[in-house]
Amino acid sequence: MDNNILIKTEGLSKIYQMESAQVIALKDINLEIKHNEYVAIMGPSGSGKTTLMSILGCLDTPSSGSFYLDGVDVSSLDDNQLAEIRNKKIGFVFQTFNLLPRANCIKNVELPLIYSGVAKEERYGKAVKALEDVGLGDRMTHKPTELSGGQRQRVAVARALVNNPSLIFADEPTGNLDTKTGEEIMKLFAELWKKGNSIILVTHEEDIARHAHRIIKLRDGVVIDDFRNPNPVIA
Amino acid sequence: MIKIFEIREAFKQALDSIKVNRMRSFLASLGVVIGISFVLLMGWVLSGLDKAMSDSFKMMGVDVMYVDKHDWSGGKSWNEVRNRPNITLQQANKLIESLQSVELAVPVARRWQAEIKYGPNKYQGITAQGTYYQFGYTPGGSIEFGRFFSENEDQYSSNVVCLGWKVYETMFPKGDAIGKTIKIEGHNFLVIGVLKKQGTTFFDFIDNIVYMPLSTFLKTFGKFRRTFSIAVKAGSEENLDNARAEVEGKMRIIRNLQPGEENDFSINESKAFEDQVKIIRTVVWSVGIGMTLLSFVVGIIGIINVMFVSIFERTREIGIRKALGAKKRTILLQIVFEAMLLSLLGAIISFFFTSFIAYITGTIIIEYVPQVEFLSPFMPYDLLIIASIISIFVGIFAGLVPAIRASNFDPVIALRYE
Repeated sequence: MDNNILIKTEGLSKIYQMESAQVIALKDINLEIKHNEYVAIMGPSGSGKTTLMSILGCLDTPSSGSFYLDGVDVSSLDDNQLAEIRNKKIGFVFQTFNLLPRANCIKNVELPLIYSGVAKEERYGKAVKALEDVGLGDRMTHKPTELSGGQRQRVAVARALVNNPSLIFADEPTGNLDTKTGEEIMKLFAELWKKGNSIILVTHEEDIARHAHRIIKLRDGVVIDDFRNPNPVIA
Repeated sequence: MIKIFEIREAFKQALDSIKVNRMRSFLASLGVVIGISFVLLMGWVLSGLDKAMSDSFKMMGVDVMYVDKHDWSGGKSWNEVRNRPNITLQQANKLIESLQSVELAVPVARRWQAEIKYGPNKYQGITAQGTYYQFGYTPGGSIEFGRFFSENEDQYSSNVVCLGWKVYETMFPKGDAIGKTIKIEGHNFLVIGVLKKQGTTFFDFIDNIVYMPLSTFLKTFGKFRRTFSIAVKAGSEENLDNARAEVEGKMRIIRNLQPGEENDFSINESKAFEDQVKIIRTVVWSVGIGMTLLSFVVGIIGIINVMFVSIFERTREIGIRKALGAKKRTILLQIVFEAMLLSLLGAIISFFFTSFIAYITGTIIIEYVPQVEFLSPFMPYDLLIIASIISIFVGIFAGLVPAIRASNFDPVIALRYE
């Protein structure tokens, strides 16, 4: 397999078994995403984009088909192995930030490192560095409730980056932010991409998707469009 | 494999979440507080009882037995015992002469429910005992003040008496008993000695006693239709079985018992009291165990309840942790630790609570209710350790179901939980 390929899916499907009926969330998805790509997955609600992100983010497993992440067949892994992959290879940024409210910024950013067993001093150093990288060097001991929305999302980005993942997922990262703050966050993603990170953006907003270099459109669980963005927005 | 850092982290998280919900944590552990308090108080009372008992035995002498018409343990029916023939002084002396493996044997005659007077003081219900001067060599005859009576006083039937500790304390609250003349059943006696205190608390009836020379006793209270018992000191605890066998064999011959015939006498040891104490023990245990089990059930339900509330309240947090790489067992450990700490917290609260009760009992209540004297003012350490271990297991048990539930949360759903 091509070493440069980060994600490869073959015939990926997800079917939810409801009481009376089957709901097909994803049908026969075949994708290839290379390292250091900046991809937006777009679609209206119910299109299956969240399900796709859950599977690509190793939070969920497909009903059928295979999914290779960094050359590893992820669809055959058990819960614990998936947890390890999430920990080491994937960073998440959520619409609702999903920070631990009682923990301060450093503790929040340290969390993935704790789960990978990094020693205390090293953990602290990495967390500080990650927070400085997103411009929050002066807010490290604040709790999320003491920060603005944009700052919270920066903490989340720092947390996503701290373990040096292969891939960053951003699920509607600007959904809870005003336009200006949203733009700042998008600028941050652009910088990360320039530094060599791979980014998958999940959104239903055209404006946001236009920052990406490749756009994949979903509808009713099927890829209906997959094209290069000829001139991505430079934030 | 679970790694050290996982345990440490789970522990820290658990501690954090207890700290955040102080009031709820306290209420959750209340059931355990009650349960553990019961266990501790029960153990405290029983260990006090045990100590009082073994102290009394030690004082009486663990190697001493009494051959008697009566059975002290209460194992024989009253009718059977009453119909036994008396042990005569001749039989007693015959036995004493024939015994070879024992250190000492003396006859003892008893008068129950005797009355003592000294000046205006009257004391009823004491046991007057007549015996040989050698009784002074047994632990039961060891002297606190004055002396035991001598061989001469025995020979000349002198009206001298040694008082048991309780008799002394009651009749002579100011001390100074030696040389005083008291009346026993209307007869004058010179007090020449006070015996060491032997019984503790429930066993202080042991000290409700006076000793006088046997000849004096027989002269005073009459010798006819009287049954005697024989105090036998084996010499050591190891020799007890040996001595008992010899006593039984010789006594059967003296009493003319045929092979197969039941003994018409009893060999009583200080251990006979153990049976009586066992009854108290059983009562304390069965009441205590019932209450304890009940409160543990309440305690466990309380913790399970709070843990369920807690995990659903933190569904999202658990989702976040899982998304960031927490494994099932990481979550499991965290919740189990939390339940365990809650339970341990309950145990610690009850340590303080019961230690306080013990201390108050041993220092203040004892002034007003001397009967609690057998209770130690401190909780025994081994009880605290046992209670901690119990509480840890209770916590783990209570935390397991919620923990398994939490560890199986689907991260996709948990992350979107509002």
